[in-house]
Amino acid sequence: MAGRKETALDLAKFVDKGVQVKLTGGRQVTGTLKGYDQLLNLVLDEAVEYEREQDDPLKLSGKTRQLGLIVCRGTAVMLVSPTDGTDEIANPFLADGA
Amino acid sequence: MLPLSLLKTAQGHPMLVELKNGETYNGHLVNCDTWMNIHLREVICTSKDGDRFWRMPECYIRGNTIKYLRVPDEVIDKVQEETSKSRSDRKPPGVGRGGRGRGDIGAKPGGRGIGRGQDDGGRGSGGRGRGGVGGKGGNKGGGRGRG
Repeated sequence: MAGRKETALDLAKFVDKGVQVKLTGGRQVTGTLKGYDQLLNLVLDEAVEYEREQDDPLKLSGKTRQLGLIVCRGTAVMLVSPTDGTDEIANPFLADGA
Repeated sequence: MLPLSLLKTAQGHPMLVELKNGETYNGHLVNCDTWMNIHLREVICTSKDGDRFWRMPECYIRGNTIKYLRVPDEVIDKVQEETSKSRSDRKPPGVGRGGRGRGDIGAKPGGRGIGRGQDDGGRGSGGRGRGGVGGKGGNKGGGRGRG
């Protein structure tokens, strides 16, 4: 039971691949996953933060910030996804309804 | 029906997940765990204001950031089947470890420290110990201890 913690996702397959990480508070970072542990602490190399608009934190400003090698604290990690295959798209739900 | 068993049953089904920050994720549930961490495949992410969209092949969402999940109606039928199946082999409630009392205290020689000048018999007969005090034949009080 207690040993079943991160069975929901095996991060092993993301190692040395590009991942996008969203953090609590709204920061968004991409980088190459170099390591992780069961608490979801992550090591990202060549990390880049995607900054948000100052007056509207919902919107990405398009500006980036190079962070280099970082450790993301697991408790702050909200979401992990591969950058490969992640793209912005047009509203797919309108097409579905039509 | 437990929320997590519903979620477990919903594996393989499409679902919508809204995070506390307002973003929503539509995708097929691959896996979930007891923390409600979830793994989705073929995901469409929608921004909080609902006018930007991203497609991602998969994503992992930490359970404690989830506000709610919407699951397809048909999942509820399956979860009821499963619970009726599993109910039969569940243990009856209330058979626990029992265990009251603190039998060990009396058992340590001189364990209570202060004021016990001599070690008057390290056999644990001092203090609480025996458990039979209440007169109930000692079936509740731990008490019996060593000694």
